[in-house]
Amino acid sequence: MLPALSFAFITEPGFMIVFVIFFVLAYCLGYYWQSRHSRVSLLIEEANFKTDQIAKLEKVNKTLEDTNRQLYAKELELTMANTHLASLEQAKSKFISVTTHQLRTPLAAVKWTLDMAAKGDLGVVDEEQKKFLNKGLESINRVISIVNDLLKVDSINTDKDDYQFKALDILKLLEDVFFEFNNQAISKKISLIIEKPDKGVPLVEVDDDKIRMVLENLIDNAIKYTPDGGKVTVRLSDSKLNSAVPALEISVIDSGIGISPEDSGKIFHKFFRAANAIKKEPDGSGLGLFIAHDIIEKHGGVVWFESHPGDGTTFFFTLPLHQKKV
Amino acid sequence: MADGKKKIYIVEDDEFLRSLNAKKLEGEGYEVVVAVDGPSAITGIPEAAPDLVFLDLLLPGGKDGFDVLTSIKADEKTKNIPVIVFSNLGQTEDIEKARKLGAIDFLVKANFTLDDVVLKIKDILK
Repeated sequence: MLPALSFAFITEPGFMIVFVIFFVLAYCLGYYWQSRHSRVSLLIEEANFKTDQIAKLEKVNKTLEDTNRQLYAKELELTMANTHLASLEQAKSKFISVTTHQLRTPLAAVKWTLDMAAKGDLGVVDEEQKKFLNKGLESINRVISIVNDLLKVDSINTDKDDYQFKALDILKLLEDVFFEFNNQAISKKISLIIEKPDKGVPLVEVDDDKIRMVLENLIDNAIKYTPDGGKVTVRLSDSKLNSAVPALEISVIDSGIGISPEDSGKIFHKFFRAANAIKKEPDGSGLGLFIAHDIIEKHGGVVWFESHPGDGTTFFFTLPLHQKKV
Repeated sequence: MADGKKKIYIVEDDEFLRSLNAKKLEGEGYEVVVAVDGPSAITGIPEAAPDLVFLDLLLPGGKDGFDVLTSIKADEKTKNIPVIVFSNLGQTEDIEKARKLGAIDFLVKANFTLDDVVLKIKDILK
């Protein structure tokens, strides 16, 4: 019975068609099912991936937040330290100015007494006594100059904002400074000479107190490090008046101990003193040229020197005629 | 001034410095008058009518050197008397202030000998 049925089944066209349609449908359904499944699993994979990403980002975020908090705390620390420093700086400044005044008064008294005594104003003194009194005077003058240096160092901790630029007759300032050093020069028999162009030099816009300090320092050095009987010349030059940035060039020329090549690179460093300088002048702060360099830079100028050991030194510096208005 | 001597007025509160200064100047042939504090200087200077004034800045008595300077320069009788501020302060602000108020010079005591001071006087009074 069965074989007859199956044969009949196969050969019946109707059944064949249904069978094929069923087969195709099943195939399509299967395919559709498969693709949906893989799309879903793709989506799930993507979702998982994104979740991982988010987790990583959150981790990074947390680290950033922590770092931020630490930075903020550090900033607070630094601000507090800065405020503390500023008030220390102020206290130091006040201390220095009060102390230097307190010190200067008795120092002046001793200086005048010794000077007068040495000159015979307090009674006749013989050569031997005069020598001792002058030695005492020398020592006192050294202490006074250290006190003055202390004050100067304190005053250079000023910003460029504290500079006050005004048109200045540099020749007049130079003559003033020469007057200050007159005694020192005379006692060492050193001639002080000013050289200037015949037609003079124009006014230059500077902070006169600061430039005075520069001149004082360079001339003081020139006299200190030049042996007795030597020469110190300050030359004002108009050679740079016609350059792109018109400037005065000033040189301080001495016939002194000179600067060696090994020391040349450190001459403007804070506290540096060359060996031959220390030998000639045991006392000195090593701050003068550092301060002078700083001041000239703040004026937009340049400072340099030419020297040979034992053959004298020339310090040059330029001062632009005009300062930019801020 | 009657006997041809120039009169120098010294305003200085430190006794020793004052006596040294006076001794030096008298030795050089000047007539010397002194004041030891601000108020005495303010009344004393017009009275004495000196040829030159040496003025310290830190003075007792409630009036300091700047006050004395202002007062001298405001008085018709005394405003043309040259004033040298003689002090141991040396801060830029002080020097500027002194100049602005009419001082002819500012000397830091410790940086000058009395001989330098005499030279300055001769220079100003000639």
